Amino acid sequence: MNKNTDINVSYLDGEKVPHFKSLSDIEYERIYSGSDGSGELPDAGQYPFTRGIHQDMYRRRLWTRRQQSGFGSPEESNERIKYLLKVGQTGVNMDTDVGTKLGLDPDYPLAQGDVGLQGTSICTYEDMKALFKDIPLDEVSSTLIVQPPYSAVIMAQYLLLAKERGIPWENLIGTIMNCSLTQLVGPTFQSNTAFFPIDLTIKIGLDVMEYLIPRAPRWNIVNINAYNIRETGVNAVQEAAFSMAMAADYIKGLMKRGLDVDSFARRIAFFSAAQLDLFEEVAKLRGMRRIWARMLKETFGAKNEQSMWFRTAIQTAALPLTAQEPLNNIVRAAIQTLAAVLSGTQSIHTTGYDEAYSLPTEESHKLSIRTQQIIAYETKVVNSVDPLGGSYLIESLTDQIEEQTWEMMKVIADKGGFIQCFKDGWVEEQINEARYKMAEAIESGQHPIVGVNTFREQEEVAKINIFKHAEDMQAKRIEYAMAFKKNRPQEPVKQALEKICHLTNGSTNLFEPIMHAVEANATLQEICDALRKSADFTIPA
Amino acid sequence: MQFNGKKLILGKLGLDAHDNGLRIVAKWLVGAGYEVIYSGLYNNPQRMVQMAMEEDVDAIGLSFLGCEHLYYANKLMAELGKRELGHLKIIMGGVIPPDDVATLKALGVGLVFTPGTPKDQILSSIKELLG
Repeated sequence: MNKNTDINVSYLDGEKVPHFKSLSDIEYERIYSGSDGSGELPDAGQYPFTRGIHQDMYRRRLWTRRQQSGFGSPEESNERIKYLLKVGQTGVNMDTDVGTKLGLDPDYPLAQGDVGLQGTSICTYEDMKALFKDIPLDEVSSTLIVQPPYSAVIMAQYLLLAKERGIPWENLIGTIMNCSLTQLVGPTFQSNTAFFPIDLTIKIGLDVMEYLIPRAPRWNIVNINAYNIRETGVNAVQEAAFSMAMAADYIKGLMKRGLDVDSFARRIAFFSAAQLDLFEEVAKLRGMRRIWARMLKETFGAKNEQSMWFRTAIQTAALPLTAQEPLNNIVRAAIQTLAAVLSGTQSIHTTGYDEAYSLPTEESHKLSIRTQQIIAYETKVVNSVDPLGGSYLIESLTDQIEEQTWEMMKVIADKGGFIQCFKDGWVEEQINEARYKMAEAIESGQHPIVGVNTFREQEEVAKINIFKHAEDMQAKRIEYAMAFKKNRPQEPVKQALEKICHLTNGSTNLFEPIMHAVEANATLQEICDALRKSADFTIPA
Repeated sequence: MQFNGKKLILGKLGLDAHDNGLRIVAKWLVGAGYEVIYSGLYNNPQRMVQMAMEEDVDAIGLSFLGCEHLYYANKLMAELGKRELGHLKIIMGGVIPPDDVATLKALGVGLVFTPGTPKDQILSSIKELLG
């Protein structure tokens, strides 16, 4: 309560929530009974994998603890990776800064102010070496967060690093995000079209997948980014339907290249959100497992069961986290993490309580890992597979979300598929509508947030440790990029880039020419500029 | 809602594309009778100021979520100084740590809104600032 003596009397007279709708506007029943569900419930590890893709799930192996990290220079990020592994992280999740995600070097004028802020800055092969110094690429699985066409450059750097260290590519474990239209802030139009032409983005994304399939069989060729879609404010059904529809487009693209669905489907994984509506989120993931299994088997004719496994990484949604009373976010993230565990995910990133202020501090990163460890080792929720399965409520909600998702997938398919819907601006419309609706619900109190629109205290500045970047970090990175480009043999770079220009407008897979350019010491932006030039595409200055 | 005679340009500087907040505030301002020019993503400070001049706005509204606020506040204020546009009001919002709010205000930023600021508070502060 406030420091003054005002007492909030409105809650004394029978406290209740404003409505009984889910975050996705599904009306929760007063009580669920046996007549609500479909009744069929095959074991975990059995088609359609509603209860989990493995029979024993966490009894055999816990989920991977995979906190996203990355800031400043590759050297600084390498230190943080090692710290995280030391306190119990079990996989690496490397985020790049926005410039890297847009194919810009640190010295590009419009990129300079963002260097190293939201992820680590990588533009050369040397950078990749520094980032993964001392990290065993065949023992620790790594996720590289970067989308096409830039994913081709980053993946090439990573493969070259493995080669230099004598690690066969077939032993590499990890994931390249490589999802064409969702990485920046979800599938919003301007962010995905300002720095590269859409069709070439999608083409190079498929080039990366096609190149990896026969060469790195343990590597995930794409992580369908449902999380960033959800973070725009859309609901669980839209998250599921958009991401499934996008995956369907990628599958079709690869099949059109003559690839057998069973040769690649098991290397497609998802990256999903866990929001605060615990039951709905569990139902969503169970529903997505069923949809993926059916889609692969019935629509795409997969025969291998592994192709029908919906595998997902989960990040606890940052959208519900608040700047007000930041310690409350620890509670929120713990519940979201629990939702992720109860849904049977493959890996988790628990979002830091300082999310509304800055990148996570070391302390906050450790707390995220501890949150997962407490759930794993102390709560006993891992002891049985799909512990909520068979609950009347969960089964009914799973059916409902699955049904609504199929319906929306049909709408998208009838409009020509997800990529077409994105190009036509339909996706943008859906997102904007959802954003405004959520803002309105927060204003009206229909979407209660403790400490923000309900139980809000007088403004006081939160006491919180905030991550700070090194002061000269940006200047050093800019200087580095300029010096690197000046001090190398120029002729091989020129030749490699010319080759890319020459091949861009054909149907040749561009991955190998891009890898040769990386080997010749071309930078990320130089390679991307060569591609842009061939497509006659100019970028914001 | 009737036009209240005040005009703002809203946009983002640099590469960060988190525009949820900015779009929502733009909609609220339009609803409250302001004329809003929405310049979207990937602006540089020079272009932003140029557009503000051409459109003859009363204020520039900017949103930052990637910790790039101080870098761009410095560049923007320098550009305004160069063009003798010190009278233009600057409004910022987004993920901005408490210590930096004071720094921004010292640089001449009129208003800084951090996450969770209610609509009414945003609208009344802007009304007060723009008169």
